[in-house]
Amino acid sequence: MDKKLEVRDLRISFKTQNGKVQAVRDINFDLYKGETLAIVGESGSGKSVTSKTILGILAGNALVEGGEVIYDGQDLLKITEEDFHAIRGDKIAMIFQDPMSSLNPIVRIGRQLTEAMILKGKQRQKSSRKDFNKKLKLLEKFIIEATANNSDEEKAVSKKVDDFDKFEYKHLQLEGAYNVAYQAASESIEELKNLIFELEKNAVLPKLVDNRVALILQTAKKAVSRYVVHSDAERYKELLVSVKAESKLVKESKDCSVVIAQLKEMLEILQTAVNYVQPNFFAMGYYLTFSDKELPEMSVTELNVFLRKYLDDNFMLDFIALAKQGIERSFFNSLELKKQVIALIDEVLPVFEKDVLDKTECNNAVKQLVNLTEASIDRLALKKDSVAYTFGVALKNAVKTYFGAEAHNKKQTKIYEQAQKKYDKIIAKGETPDWQVTPPSIIDYDFAKANIIKIIKKLKDNYLLAIDQSVSFKFDEETVAMIDYLKSKAAGVVHKVTPSMAKHRAIKLMEEVGIPEPRKRFKQYPFEFSGGMRQRIVIAIALAADPDILICDEPTTALDVTIQAQILELINKLKAERQLSVIFITHDLGVVANMADRIAVMYAGKIVEYGTSEEVFYDPRHPYTWALLASMPDLDTNEKLEAIPGTPPNMIYPPKGDAFAERNKYALKIDFEMQPPMFEVSETHSAATWLLHPDAPKVDPPKIVTERIERMKAKGGSLDG
Amino acid sequence: MAEVNNNEVLLKIENLCQFFKMGRMELKAVNNVSFEIKKGEVFGLVGESGCGKTTTGRTIIKLYNATSGNVYFKGKRIVAGTRSYKDAIKAKRIEANAAIEALDLNDPEYTAKKDAIKAEAQAFISEQRKLIASANFDHNNCDKEYAKEQVALVKEKYAKLLAEASTEEEKAELNKKYRADLRKAKKAKIVTQIQMIFQDPIASLDPRMTVKDIIAEGLIINGERDKNVIEEKVYEMLELIGLVREHATRYPHEFSGGQRQRIGVARAIIMNPEMIIADEPVSALDVSIQAQVINLLNELRQKMGLTLLFIAHDLSVVKYFSDRIGVMYFGNMVELASSEELFAHPMHPYTKSLLSAIPLPDPVYEKKRKRIVYNPLAEHDYSVDKPSMREVVPGHFIYCNDAEEKKYKEELTK
Repeated sequence: MDKKLEVRDLRISFKTQNGKVQAVRDINFDLYKGETLAIVGESGSGKSVTSKTILGILAGNALVEGGEVIYDGQDLLKITEEDFHAIRGDKIAMIFQDPMSSLNPIVRIGRQLTEAMILKGKQRQKSSRKDFNKKLKLLEKFIIEATANNSDEEKAVSKKVDDFDKFEYKHLQLEGAYNVAYQAASESIEELKNLIFELEKNAVLPKLVDNRVALILQTAKKAVSRYVVHSDAERYKELLVSVKAESKLVKESKDCSVVIAQLKEMLEILQTAVNYVQPNFFAMGYYLTFSDKELPEMSVTELNVFLRKYLDDNFMLDFIALAKQGIERSFFNSLELKKQVIALIDEVLPVFEKDVLDKTECNNAVKQLVNLTEASIDRLALKKDSVAYTFGVALKNAVKTYFGAEAHNKKQTKIYEQAQKKYDKIIAKGETPDWQVTPPSIIDYDFAKANIIKIIKKLKDNYLLAIDQSVSFKFDEETVAMIDYLKSKAAGVVHKVTPSMAKHRAIKLMEEVGIPEPRKRFKQYPFEFSGGMRQRIVIAIALAADPDILICDEPTTALDVTIQAQILELINKLKAERQLSVIFITHDLGVVANMADRIAVMYAGKIVEYGTSEEVFYDPRHPYTWALLASMPDLDTNEKLEAIPGTPPNMIYPPKGDAFAERNKYALKIDFEMQPPMFEVSETHSAATWLLHPDAPKVDPPKIVTERIERMKAKGGSLDG
Repeated sequence: MAEVNNNEVLLKIENLCQFFKMGRMELKAVNNVSFEIKKGEVFGLVGESGCGKTTTGRTIIKLYNATSGNVYFKGKRIVAGTRSYKDAIKAKRIEANAAIEALDLNDPEYTAKKDAIKAEAQAFISEQRKLIASANFDHNNCDKEYAKEQVALVKEKYAKLLAEASTEEEKAELNKKYRADLRKAKKAKIVTQIQMIFQDPIASLDPRMTVKDIIAEGLIINGERDKNVIEEKVYEMLELIGLVREHATRYPHEFSGGQRQRIGVARAIIMNPEMIIADEPVSALDVSIQAQVINLLNELRQKMGLTLLFIAHDLSVVKYFSDRIGVMYFGNMVELASSEELFAHPMHPYTKSLLSAIPLPDPVYEKKRKRIVYNPLAEHDYSVDKPSMREVVPGHFIYCNDAEEKKYKEELTK
């Protein structure tokens, strides 16, 4: 599966007047394509902070202390705000907890839905143009490298690529116009149906009939010029004249049977027109651009075959062969360089393994390594290698930290000493200060060095793996994917989002998320919607930009059971349809069971248990997960619920040992002294508790949990099936 | 769960209606709801948001004036609406007029017949008017009546004691006590024996009052002036709900969500009520804290013998907590049964759809779960045969018409 998002060693704290609150402490997780990751925990456990970090919308007093959030070959913690504009909302979208407070109460729903589309439209056009040109240039370069021997051949290749560029745009213009016509047609069909229904029920005032008919005909006009070609066109023109005449007569005669009959015929023509096979615009674009001839007169199916053949014979087959050669060239180029990088790593690694690092030596080594790695990246590959892409920045930062440690430590110690002095003074006066002295954050040389080596080794491992897998690389598939990529990017350039288009898309989206009568609802204000409908609107807004990743921050907490079930079903449906990756944040384990593929249980800023949903529900290992499961009643619970005693710890002074130890009746002595590492239960399941240590006493989960698991297994749900 | 063996009815609700004016329209928030709550039991009220659960609770403690219907608490009518009588008068007038119009003008006995009809209508109307007057009187004066009774009781008690007292000192002491008790008796209200716990613990506590002020407020309003007594009682309540004395001087924002809700509970139980209306007390809380509050309510119920009307939309909590459950849908009670019966044999399609929406912590089951959608127009045909609340099997009431009753009966007795 594709990894969409990686979070590594993320550490976040908030500066407050009383000290630094450590909200998130060293969490790690991956998000794969098309799966749901649920993050469960009490309020204040750092769930929302994590999601906000991914989206880059942390509060001003937040401090990112370390870690990486890798998306699409970029570290989201290190890119600029401008670069983030292209990701936030576009690629990663978020649904917030309270639908009422995340909608603007004085702006109509339609405006709020289309606002982002229009704003993002321009941005997207620009970035698509950039991406398209960049990729096509690269492709051209490699094709020339691979195939051309002299300047003539070079020119031929350049011309081919140019041609592709040209007719690609022609094709998109054709398709755009077609889509507008299609929308006009479907709109007029709907209106026609309504009018006929109302006329049959005598619900229309006779004097208004001609007005209504004229309005519909106006909408239909756009559709008809492009759509109703072929045999029906003549009949349609006749109908157009007679309907207009007849509808005027209704005023006097008050008899509309003739009009109804004619409108019905019209409706039929439009409906058959809409159901026609779509022409192959891609091929048509090529034909119209380069053949200098009109389209031949034939039915759409025949035309498609003809155009396709024309395109393949004259252009496409050659182009695909060329592109494949270019891609191969680029791939093997980078593979060769990768081997060199590995050799270089073996060569320079001793430099970083010395007891005390030498600055000039290190900097030289870093320069060499980074330059070679940058060159070794296969820029043409569609799947970005995040390790290689972020290698340069990460390594430079790590080395900088090492050599900057001395100055940093001095400064920190000074600050600490001053604070301590102040504290002692207050104590000497006989008062008790309401704050404590935070110990200085000293950088450990060994740790910093280990970090550098870790980064380099990670790259090496990654490249070794890439070389291993290179044998089975499928160039044909990659070529097709490349052409599709170019097509979609070109589409992004041509599709200018106009207000009317945005409206069409918004209405389509509203239908998709299950809002009845979207055309009417489009003009309403948020307060006219019920809670569930409001949440649907918020989901529609989040989906407007067609994101890769959807973050849901307690989307159903403010809703009641039936609406909650509807919203969960909706998110599940959309996930399946659009291959979304979802991060679902909640405090209710019951909600999660339905949604999640994997679950991360968070407590006091740490992930305490991580596994697939079956594993977490049927075989929980961490006492906190037990406590969560034991504290919620289900339909068969009769005994006293086991509430978790106490409150979460104050994260300004996080406990030395396990944060949950004080509320945990299974706590061992070591829990108060040392933080437990993640113990692996199975390949996908791990938990941070000393109870899993081989020397620990065996402890069974509370009775209420084991009984429930037994019951669930008896009901038919179990790990073994 | 403690079994409820006695059959003493503590609260009886009869055809309760609560309509709100919305422009020209009327919103029927609660429409013709009837049920009984026995002493010592927990009655759960479930339904989706906007179905009238909270309105029912609020109407019972007279936060709203009921449109029509009665509420009896310990046999006394505390809430009475008049709409139904007024409607009856209107209907009677129309009926009488129609009867008069139908008479033959040439009939020699025309005048006599007309007078007879008029007289009969008049009698009916005056009877209804009497009912209206008595309803209004009960609704407005039940507290006064109750206070009068209490005053009489106190007077009687102290008259006896004073007569027995021998020395002057004793008499003075008794007189002091007598005055304090009399003051409290005069301010007594029957409705204070029903207390409410609200949904949102943040919004329902005054941020500028200390915990002690908040908890003691009810006592002071009811005439308690002795500071020592108030303090003692507040501390007692704090200990009862699992907080400590030191918390009394703090402000609500210094507490966590679960603790805040406990303060809300303390405020309700300090009046020593017989019944508590808990309006979604755990909906705004984290799952781990929900359990704390539910356990607390359960303990209190056993210690103090409380009766609870538990309003919630989370069915698993209601199932865990309640003895009997009523399901509401758009202002109507659609099904009412003991909690085991309701979950074992849900009959009304809305109940079924509600039950099918509960999420459970069981991934394999959850992924197979299919939600039933309730569409009242498709499920029922009430065009001819009007539905009403019927007891299909003993203790199991369903809102249905004749055909459906037959169907349900067959299914249940199977």
